[in-house]
Amino acid sequence: MKFEDVFEETDLTALEPDMPFRDLDEWSSMAALGTMAMVSDEYDVELTAEEMRSASTFRELFETVKSHL
Amino acid sequence: MFTLQGKEILVTGASSGIGRTAACMAAARGARMTLLARNEERLRQTMESLDGDGHRTMVCDLTDEDSLKEAVAQMPPLDGLVLCAGINEFMPVKFIRQDKLERVFQTNCFAHLLLVQLLLKRKKVNPGASIVFVSSVSSLMGVPGTLMYAASKGAVNSAVRVLASELAPQGIRVNAVCPGIVRSEMLAGTNITEEAFTGQERQYPLGLGRPEDVGFAALFHLCDGSRWLTGQTMVLDGGMTLI
Repeated sequence: MKFEDVFEETDLTALEPDMPFRDLDEWSSMAALGTMAMVSDEYDVELTAEEMRSASTFRELFETVKSHL
Repeated sequence: MFTLQGKEILVTGASSGIGRTAACMAAARGARMTLLARNEERLRQTMESLDGDGHRTMVCDLTDEDSLKEAVAQMPPLDGLVLCAGINEFMPVKFIRQDKLERVFQTNCFAHLLLVQLLLKRKKVNPGASIVFVSSVSSLMGVPGTLMYAASKGAVNSAVRVLASELAPQGIRVNAVCPGIVRSEMLAGTNITEEAFTGQERQYPLGLGRPEDVGFAALFHLCDGSRWLTGQTMVLDGGMTLI
């Protein structure tokens, strides 16, 4: 997933699959919208607000996206 | 004062949300309605809930010029238009693309301007008619993530002023209503969670809006009681922009 498109300041090399992304300093409602737009652009998957809300780690988010592919 | 007896009124986006509610409210006050939307089944449901008779439905994709021209050809001369059809996509600016921008502007702005143009050209807007654009308070603010939607509605607000002055000699009035957050199907279809909207509610001294709140404003604009009102954008936001 192209999180470099979503984040400006976060060190992407430090991200781990099981990291709760909401704990990141840069996480915000705009980062959530950016993540949904990135997923739409990259995978042609439109995540619902509910799906976005229910994922808490990068792995869960990826699994949710994968379930639509 | 709020009677619409004998008036022919067109509503776009009539199959759901503000459009459906406004159509029902106008029919209840004696108007004969032309309902336009893409979804035939939901359009039929709106039709069935209207008071009175003589109403008609038109299945039309506003963004398809041929479909729009065909619909206009079948329309009766109109005394009122309520232009509700709209779409909404929230994203940070860096994710905007030309195709996304075009899609939002096409529905929210260009299609309605073209509809008005075609109706005028075919002399289907009666003298004394009232045209009501459903804009948005977003067009007057700068909420992060709303660029495409806000800019498309801002373009509508500018068009309203030009149309109002151009059409005043024919006694045709043109105004916009700018609602804040209204609980509607369009809202439910966006990529914003229910929680986020509940959070927004705190910023609304009178709470979030209902489709009827916008419907009543549309009725006022449509009726003859507002005959001296043109070129304006009425903010309907439960006091949100006050605080």
